[in-house]
Amino acid sequence: MKELDLLKKDWQRNSDSFEQISEKEIYKMIHQKSSSIVKWILIISILEISFWTFSNLFLNTDDVLQKINHPEIVTALEILTYFNYAVALFFVIIFYKNYKTISTTVSTKLLMGAILRTRKTVQYYVWYNLGMIVITAILSFFIAFVYNPDMAFIREKLAVNGKAMFVTIGLSMLVACAFFGLFWCFYRLLYGTLLRRLYANYKELKKIDF
Amino acid sequence: MSENLEQSFVAQLKANQNIIHKICRLYTAGEDAHKDLFQEITIQLWKAYPKFRGDSKFSTWTYRVALNTAITLYRKTKRTISTVEYESHQHFVKDVDYNYEEEEQIKLMYKAVYQLNDIEKALVFMYLEDKDYQEIAETLGISEVNARVKMNRIKGKLKKILNP
Repeated sequence: MKELDLLKKDWQRNSDSFEQISEKEIYKMIHQKSSSIVKWILIISILEISFWTFSNLFLNTDDVLQKINHPEIVTALEILTYFNYAVALFFVIIFYKNYKTISTTVSTKLLMGAILRTRKTVQYYVWYNLGMIVITAILSFFIAFVYNPDMAFIREKLAVNGKAMFVTIGLSMLVACAFFGLFWCFYRLLYGTLLRRLYANYKELKKIDF
Repeated sequence: MSENLEQSFVAQLKANQNIIHKICRLYTAGEDAHKDLFQEITIQLWKAYPKFRGDSKFSTWTYRVALNTAITLYRKTKRTISTVEYESHQHFVKDVDYNYEEEEQIKLMYKAVYQLNDIEKALVFMYLEDKDYQEIAETLGISEVNARVKMNRIKGKLKKILNP
């Protein structure tokens, strides 16, 4: 291509036409903070993992559990809590391992793959937590419904009126959907702005080597 | 020890800074963005420097880290570039045998290259820098054959942009 050769000639002729940066300026630069997406992903990931890991600390279920007065349920919930911490630890280790593989000295494709893998680890952890929330919500709904003495009144009422039952279930589903929708939007916004370009470039690179 | 490291890094970077400038020229529009990307690349190079063993040349290593930063790590790149910014961005050297027609063609080519996507720009950049296909392929992480195929496609795309 004639034009490209012309460009190449011009490019090489102009390769030292830039205003030179002094050593002093370079010293200053290397002590500045990076604003790369990797740094942002790290910050957001740490926030996410801590949020989900410690969110169950703030859910106070002691009062309800005391009322129910079934020690086997309390034990089951305790085991579940420990299990959750173990899972969190597992994800943190995997996250750290993946994060450590992010390096600018490998090929572009490997670098992008490493970033996306690191990001995916956190994503799976969030999915795990959302899944757990749904399961716990359903379980506690039934436990409360069956065991909680406060619920006896509602139980009787619902047994008489089938329509109220549907309304209750419908409402809880609606709340759950709104909850999920909110999270989904939040993640789209957060990672959409952060990773859109990376995804596009990764796709382009994979297309070359299909 | 760390001061020595800093000293040798700064000296080598200063000597090789044109590589970074050229990448900034291709991936950013305007002086501020140029400086911003230059700084981010410098930070990433410095962060990776302890792992630089000298088994490759500093310049080769710089190409890789700088391109990776521009394509992958940097967040603020504008994809499009306006004509005004483009004009102010160029540093034309007026030769004695100044050829108006050639100069026009070169200008159009620069504009066309700016319309390429990030990956295509990287290939063109290394082509302009006279890198062989093996190095292009290794830097991007694709096969050499496919790097050649892609470069041919880019040439076709550039032709199309020039003669729509």
